[in-house]
This record gives sequence, structure tokens and C-alpha cells, in this order.
Amino acid sequence: MREVEFTIDPTTGRLEMHVKGIAGPACDDVARLAKELLGEPGREEKTGEYYLRPRVRPQIRGKGNQ
Amino acid sequence: MSKYLTFPDVVFKDRRLLLAALADLGYSEVEEGEALPLYGYQGDRRTETAEIVIHRRHVGSLSNDLGFARTDQGYVPVVSEYDQRTLHSGRFLVKLRTAYNERVVEEVKRRLHGTAHRTVEGNIVKVRIRF
Repeated sequence: MREVEFTIDPTTGRLEMHVKGIAGPACDDVARLAKELLGEPGREEKTGEYYLRPRVRPQIRGKGNQ
Repeated sequence: MSKYLTFPDVVFKDRRLLLAALADLGYSEVEEGEALPLYGYQGDRRTETAEIVIHRRHVGSLSNDLGFARTDQGYVPVVSEYDQRTLHSGRFLVKLRTAYNERVVEEVKRRLHGTAHRTVEGNIVKVRIRF
């Protein structure tokens, strides 16, 4: 499940965002949306999940389908 | 993915969300324009200008105009030291930032066509958007 988790601290007005469940740089699209609304982050840190390669299942077609 | 991003709290990037956040705090009467003048509580013209102005009559009799000046990074508050100290018990900018952040969360949810789950732990608000 793809998820964006926002943490808002009303005592400081501070916001943190954590994008989860998207392997690889595809999560940059979500980060780009956040930056469009929030500006450049003071801190940006890629987690281990970022460096995972998306899984692509090979598709095998039988002769009957051709 | 994943990434952690922490955003600074000085600049408001999106004009529409800033206006919505101001309205959330009760400031729905604003003037917009280019380099609008700002006036102090005695009617004195201040040196600063802003593109979004809340006139002091909508703020308080001892307050100065509140302004937001447009920059390349977004809208920067132009708020007198007095108003920073007194408005909303000295928490005007923190409350505005919080209201703005809530609006950002709503906007992200809308654009991702997601569903939101909100929890509060102590003072901390967590909103998870699944999409």
C-alpha cells in the first residue's frame, strides 16, 4: 500500500513527511508535489526503501495467444 | 519509498493555500496587489510592501497591517514585532503555519485521490494518506 505520512507539530508549526511503499525514484513524484506546496525542505533523507528496484514480472505468452 | 522531508516554517509557497489558512484563523478580508503599502497602527506608512495585506482594522486597534511579500521561494510574512508578540498570544505565525500545513495535507490527499486516516498522539497530529 502506497502511503504518505504527515506529522504536524502544532506547538512549533513544523511538518514532516514520510513517503512509504513506493520502491525507487517513483516516490520523487510525490515529493515533487509536496515541494510544490511547501517549498524546498530543510532536510531530505532517502530511506533504504528508496534504493529498492521496482519488481517487474516477466510476461510469457503462449503460442496459442499469438 | 522512501524519503523523509522536513520543511522550514518561514515561507508559504502556495498563495491559495495561504489565503485558506489565513481564513482558518479568521482573516478572510485580504487585499491583493503588487507592492501594496503597509501602514502602522497610527496610520504611518511603513517602509515594507507586500502582495497580500490584511489591514489593521481587521486585526486589532493596536495592530499594524499584516503583509505577505511574494519572493521566488514563496510568500514571506511581513509582521511587526509587536504583532508577532501579541497576536494569538504570540503564536500567530505558528498557528498560521499549522493551518497551512493542514491545508497542504488536504491538497495532497485530493491530488493523489487518497483516503486519510488521522490520529493525535499528545500534541502531535499524524495524517496517513493512502493512495
